[in-house]
Amino acid sequence: MSVSTFSPARVARFRRVRWSGLAVWIVLLLLIVIPVLTFVLVAISPRLFSQGSSYFTLSNISAAFSGYTGQGILDSLWVSTLVGTFAVTFATIIAWTVQRTNVYGRRFWAATMWLLLLVPTWMTTLGWIDVVQPGELASALGVHTLFFYHMFFGASGIVFVLTTAALPFSYFVISVGMRGLGSEFEDAARVHGAGRLLTIRTVLPIIAPALLSAFAISFAESMSDFGVAFTLGSSSHFPIATYTLFNAIYAFPANFPVAAVIAAVLILSTVPPVFLQARVMRGRSYAVLSGRTKAVRRHHFGPVARVGVTAALGLFMFFVLGLPLLGAVTSSFTNSASFITSTGVHWTFESYRQVFNTLPSFSSLGPPLLTSNELGLFVATGTLILAFVLAKRLASRTAGFSQRVIDVFLLGSIAIPGIVLGVGYIFFYDQRFLTTHVIDLYETMPLLIMGLIASSVPSQARLLTGPVAQIQSSLNEAARVHGATKWRAFRSTSLPLLSRALVWAWLLTFTKTISELAIAQILYQPGHEPASVVIETYLGTIFAAIGSAATVITLVEMLGVIGVVLLVFRLVTPKGWRRIGEAGAPS
Amino acid sequence: MSNPSFQPARVEISNLRKEFGAKVALNGVSLVVEPGTFTVLLGPSGSGKTTLLRCLAGIEQPTSGTITIGDKVVFAPGKVVTPDKRDLSMVFQDYALWPHMTVRKNIGFPLATSTLAKAARATRVDDLLERVGIAHLADRYPNELSGGEQQRVALARALCAQVGLVLFDEPLSNLDADRRDQLRIEIATLTRDAGVTAVYITHDQSEAFALADRVGVLRQGELVQYTRPEKIYRHPKSAFVARFTGVSGEFPVSRVREISDKRVEVELPFAPGTLLEATKSENSAYDQDPHLFVRAAGVTLVPATAEHGTPGVIRDVAYNGRGYEHVVDVGEKASLTKVYSAERFDRGDNVKVVFDPQSCFVMNAQEEA
Repeated sequence: MSVSTFSPARVARFRRVRWSGLAVWIVLLLLIVIPVLTFVLVAISPRLFSQGSSYFTLSNISAAFSGYTGQGILDSLWVSTLVGTFAVTFATIIAWTVQRTNVYGRRFWAATMWLLLLVPTWMTTLGWIDVVQPGELASALGVHTLFFYHMFFGASGIVFVLTTAALPFSYFVISVGMRGLGSEFEDAARVHGAGRLLTIRTVLPIIAPALLSAFAISFAESMSDFGVAFTLGSSSHFPIATYTLFNAIYAFPANFPVAAVIAAVLILSTVPPVFLQARVMRGRSYAVLSGRTKAVRRHHFGPVARVGVTAALGLFMFFVLGLPLLGAVTSSFTNSASFITSTGVHWTFESYRQVFNTLPSFSSLGPPLLTSNELGLFVATGTLILAFVLAKRLASRTAGFSQRVIDVFLLGSIAIPGIVLGVGYIFFYDQRFLTTHVIDLYETMPLLIMGLIASSVPSQARLLTGPVAQIQSSLNEAARVHGATKWRAFRSTSLPLLSRALVWAWLLTFTKTISELAIAQILYQPGHEPASVVIETYLGTIFAAIGSAATVITLVEMLGVIGVVLLVFRLVTPKGWRRIGEAGAPS
Repeated sequence: MSNPSFQPARVEISNLRKEFGAKVALNGVSLVVEPGTFTVLLGPSGSGKTTLLRCLAGIEQPTSGTITIGDKVVFAPGKVVTPDKRDLSMVFQDYALWPHMTVRKNIGFPLATSTLAKAARATRVDDLLERVGIAHLADRYPNELSGGEQQRVALARALCAQVGLVLFDEPLSNLDADRRDQLRIEIATLTRDAGVTAVYITHDQSEAFALADRVGVLRQGELVQYTRPEKIYRHPKSAFVARFTGVSGEFPVSRVREISDKRVEVELPFAPGTLLEATKSENSAYDQDPHLFVRAAGVTLVPATAEHGTPGVIRDVAYNGRGYEHVVDVGEKASLTKVYSAERFDRGDNVKVVFDPQSCFVMNAQEEA
């Protein structure tokens, strides 16, 4: 063996790589792998965790696939397939309209999609209930809603709300694909004799990875959604898997083994479509199809068609976003069981006053909203740091085995529903050997923070990988050879180029944390309930209007934080930082 | 010059080795670059020239060997000096301009940590903006500039640092032919005016010969020849060096006879009975499968009626602005390319080819290097 094999520099590098890689893996193991695996293991070995008499049994699997829980699994699968299909279809139409035509207000529609992304499914569901419930908004407008009300509390309502929730995910993925699809592909087809239809058929496969990716994400989001399951699934007598899982744990006696089987099914069912799209893309980003892609050419509608398409888009967006928000807002301005009475519509600020007063058996919104914001701050910051470290590893030029494993692991982890993580956490971190000999995190705020970080990191790490990978290594190397230390090189080159992506990743995690329900519902520290949990307790009671007011306040507060952070970003960062990612500037 | 301690650096690389897993990118490279000289490392893709430059810069860490820049050992077993402490600057192939900084800020970046007063820094940046001819673009962002303008910014940034060594990583490869020629002259002039030591890598032999005081030819991670450009042209050390630095034709030789210390006489299979005089390239053998390598400059075309010369037929002709470049078939599957003549010979014309012994070498076709 040559002397060079043991050169100190090489050994030092080897040590550095090993330790940093090991640290990352320890964090991922504690945050995601061990809690989830431990929980899933209960399905086949309940006695190992004092949950049954067998060290090995398959009886829980057959139990989970029969009766109410079996129906829930089946319902979740077909509902999610339908949601994925609808979401991709609508998202493709909207993305094409916004990205490839001269429709009015293209930036506004893109911003509307962001808003739709930020509104959690439980808020949308409650907004819709406020619209269609007899005596509420629709009734006030003279629309008879009993038929829609019954439809809404069933499969169709669940599919509808989940489709609107999945729509922004599909939209963003397909938009990127369409932006990268330069007009030269269409031109090439047309000049070689293809008609309009054949041109579409020729070009469509180019964005097939984006469509498949959109379907996979929509399917996974739908399978793992808890907000709709908790708000609609419980009262609609239409069981879906996340709710039956929740029921299995909160029933008396709790049935952890069956819950574990449902968790495993949820994870496994979302992995195939996610991996399929990863395989189709073979590591490529759907963002970059060709380095020589020209600017897109837009289809120009005539004046009448342009107004018509804009109006249709506006109507659609009002239906999926405006109406439920309006429902929640109008409901929050009433304080009775009925929005209209024989004497007319009654508007009041009473709910907004009462939401900050403690009612018997109910918390006021103030402290929980503060708790949610604190959680948001910690979770968004923690997620950003960990996701950035992971994104750096994933974007590394010399991707080794460890990077590939992390890549596959994060891809799979995106598909882990929040409720599975939450239950995995109470299951693993409540084990006696941990609570007595290591650390007792059960029912503490740090455990909730860990759980929320664990649920955010996989998607944020993969989202950040794109921007991190786009920064050519030579930019950092140029700073280093021109005298910058590692920190200064990062601060003066990578940080400005990533600032916009980092700010948005932080904001997205922050708002998602505030509105998160599944993990919060399971892991909150007694006496320190987050806002989403408290709002849930109001709704479905005679204090539903207070719940609506709390929902509106929470949403406005989230949007306020986004506005403030973006304003601060605009005020404190140099002009050059803000140019990155803007139209006409390098992205 | 605002940096009174500025000195062109002497660079010494000794027995440098770099492995990427099982692949050996550099294998025992040793060379000395004298202060104030312009050295070009020439080689095809995968020859290790970029790795060598990145090891010099400190961006890559060698597996073994030593690198000394000036009087500072920057890499040796157990010692690694980080890029920011190596007192060098670099012009990158993709320019590596920071898109969020204006031209002025990009150029002034290396001065940010210097002890120069703010006013002196601004003066230095203004001076460089003038020298590279982009003063009017000072407040623009890189994406608002053309490729040539961006490369000028990169050059100004490298010179702004006032360090003893400037590295160039194929800086002209992304430019079109006109801009390449123009910027090549500017790089040569500005770098020599600055008095720095320059190490420049390229795969373009004409660029290498135009710029270099010394040329190093790399092949498969090894430095196969390192000397003055004239010597590489006239005495390539191996068939690889001859081929890579440009030949008009290469023919197997059926017979070789030594006629002096420096000359041989060869017979080509397609011209039996015709003996050509050629040069024995220094340090290279011709005992196994010898070939005749002919430089374009060593071939003259004469009319078929001329008394001397090897018969040939014009296959193609191209006008290059100052004359004509011909492709001449001199035998079955044997042709010469880029044969210059001020006079045009048309396709199909019979001609005679006169070889200059000084530009014809005999060497083994297959060599280890």
